[in-house]
Amino acid sequence: MRLLRFIAFSVVRAWQGFWRNAMMSLAATSTVVLMLVLLSGLLIVLAGLDSGLQYIESKVGVTARLRDNLPQPQLDALLVDIRALPGVSNAEYISPDAALNRLKDFYREQGQTLDLGGAPISLYASVEISLTDPNYAESVQNALSERPEVERITTRQVDYAKLLSIIGYVRTVGIVALGLVGLTVLFMIVNMIRIAVYSRSGEIEIMRLVGASDSFIRWPFILEGILCGVIGAVVTIILVAVAWEPIKPIMVRVFQMPTAVSTEFLAVLSAVILGVGLGVGALGSWISVRANLSSAA
Amino acid sequence: MTDALRLPYVSVPATVEPVISMVDVGMTYPNGKVALVDVNVSIPEGDFVFLVGPSGAGKSTFIRLLIREQLPTAGRVVVAGRDLSTMRRSQVPALRRRIGIVFQDFRLLPAKTVYENVAFALEVTGATGAEIRKRVPRLLSLVGLHEHDEHLPAQLSGGEQQRTAIARALVHDPAMLIADEPTGNLDPVTSWDLIQLLIQINSMGTTVLMATHNQEIVNAMRRRVLALEHGTLVRDESGAAYEREY
Repeated sequence: MRLLRFIAFSVVRAWQGFWRNAMMSLAATSTVVLMLVLLSGLLIVLAGLDSGLQYIESKVGVTARLRDNLPQPQLDALLVDIRALPGVSNAEYISPDAALNRLKDFYREQGQTLDLGGAPISLYASVEISLTDPNYAESVQNALSERPEVERITTRQVDYAKLLSIIGYVRTVGIVALGLVGLTVLFMIVNMIRIAVYSRSGEIEIMRLVGASDSFIRWPFILEGILCGVIGAVVTIILVAVAWEPIKPIMVRVFQMPTAVSTEFLAVLSAVILGVGLGVGALGSWISVRANLSSAA
Repeated sequence: MTDALRLPYVSVPATVEPVISMVDVGMTYPNGKVALVDVNVSIPEGDFVFLVGPSGAGKSTFIRLLIREQLPTAGRVVVAGRDLSTMRRSQVPALRRRIGIVFQDFRLLPAKTVYENVAFALEVTGATGAEIRKRVPRLLSLVGLHEHDEHLPAQLSGGEQQRTAIARALVHDPAMLIADEPTGNLDPVTSWDLIQLLIQINSMGTTVLMATHNQEIVNAMRRRVLALEHGTLVRDESGAAYEREY
């Protein structure tokens, strides 16, 4: 019961304290929102880029376009040789008919019909090679370039490396920006609590004189910082939820991967926002209480 | 300190446990200022003691040591059987609930009513709502403010504000009440009213230590007097006047 009274006392005092210095509290909360919006944007973009990376990794690493009308024994021998290459997990022969069917399917998915105007069309036969690791693409490409059956080789390794470098760049820039905004947020919360401590120094002095324990004196201030972080997090979650529907098609268009904008991802993102808001609020107020409370009264 | 200044504690019955005991207490601040030198005092439970001396004599330091706002740089301070030098920080709140304290400037919270100011002292120490509702009206009746419980401090006279501060100081049934210049901001008539209240509280068993410059009150009361000068206890005399009479 005493613990419950303590919690109730601390929460009520924190709430009163938050609104007593409303301007300062709202300014600190706004910086929390700014930081969390930046964090959300970074996580969304990184998730999209990661999805793109996985997409590329899961797709064909190397495609070998074959010369026309290869005899079946020669084709079989080629497939056996390709599957024996290091780093190759699978090699699938795509006939010209299968390639045409894929093209028709692609048009159908786009809501269109492939209209050839009655003209006879024949696509190239190819071998689509899956790799255990995209880094084998170069060695596989070199091995195939010596084969007379192969007319042209395309690889996605370049895309993979480019995407990896973009992800690294975005992550670095994002973390640096977040770090700077995070420091600003900490400064704002530390300052908010410092002002709260000084504006209530009379109360604190009386609390000490009448025998209030340190936890009764300190926790309302720590909770006030946590409240600032949590309110900032809730506002950010609402903003992200409202922006989610417009974001989704953009994400699908840019990153080609609907998994990046799944409901599950939104739930994880909300949990991260809440956790970071709560954490930064608690850290800022804890630093401020440690630095200011012992000297305030 | 010379032997001549170590005066007998004539008002202390040998059988009564001291509620305050200072043994060879010295206090020197970090800036080198010497506030107390070799102070030896024993105050028994239920005593009424005046602490007198000019400004800067060490009265405030004496009080700060008793509530463990500061620790002595020499000697021992024992309050209600607890040696304050060896007391852990976490035990200080419990000590302060055994000591009520009032100041010259009242130190009331201006945005809270009389009732809320007194209740606040209970609330911040984890008292239940039922305890608060039971104790606060009783204390306000004791100090004669039961009809002013909804008033803000600014709506009260100086004497009424000091009575509110006394009610707040008594919320935990302290063994001792320390009053630091409680009449300093009050007119003579109000000061006497307040002294009557302190006598009433003392008659209920609470030890009262009152730091004051008010010669008239000390001379009229003829209680035990501790006189400090330049940090030294120059007089400890029962039934005494403000100034030395011999």
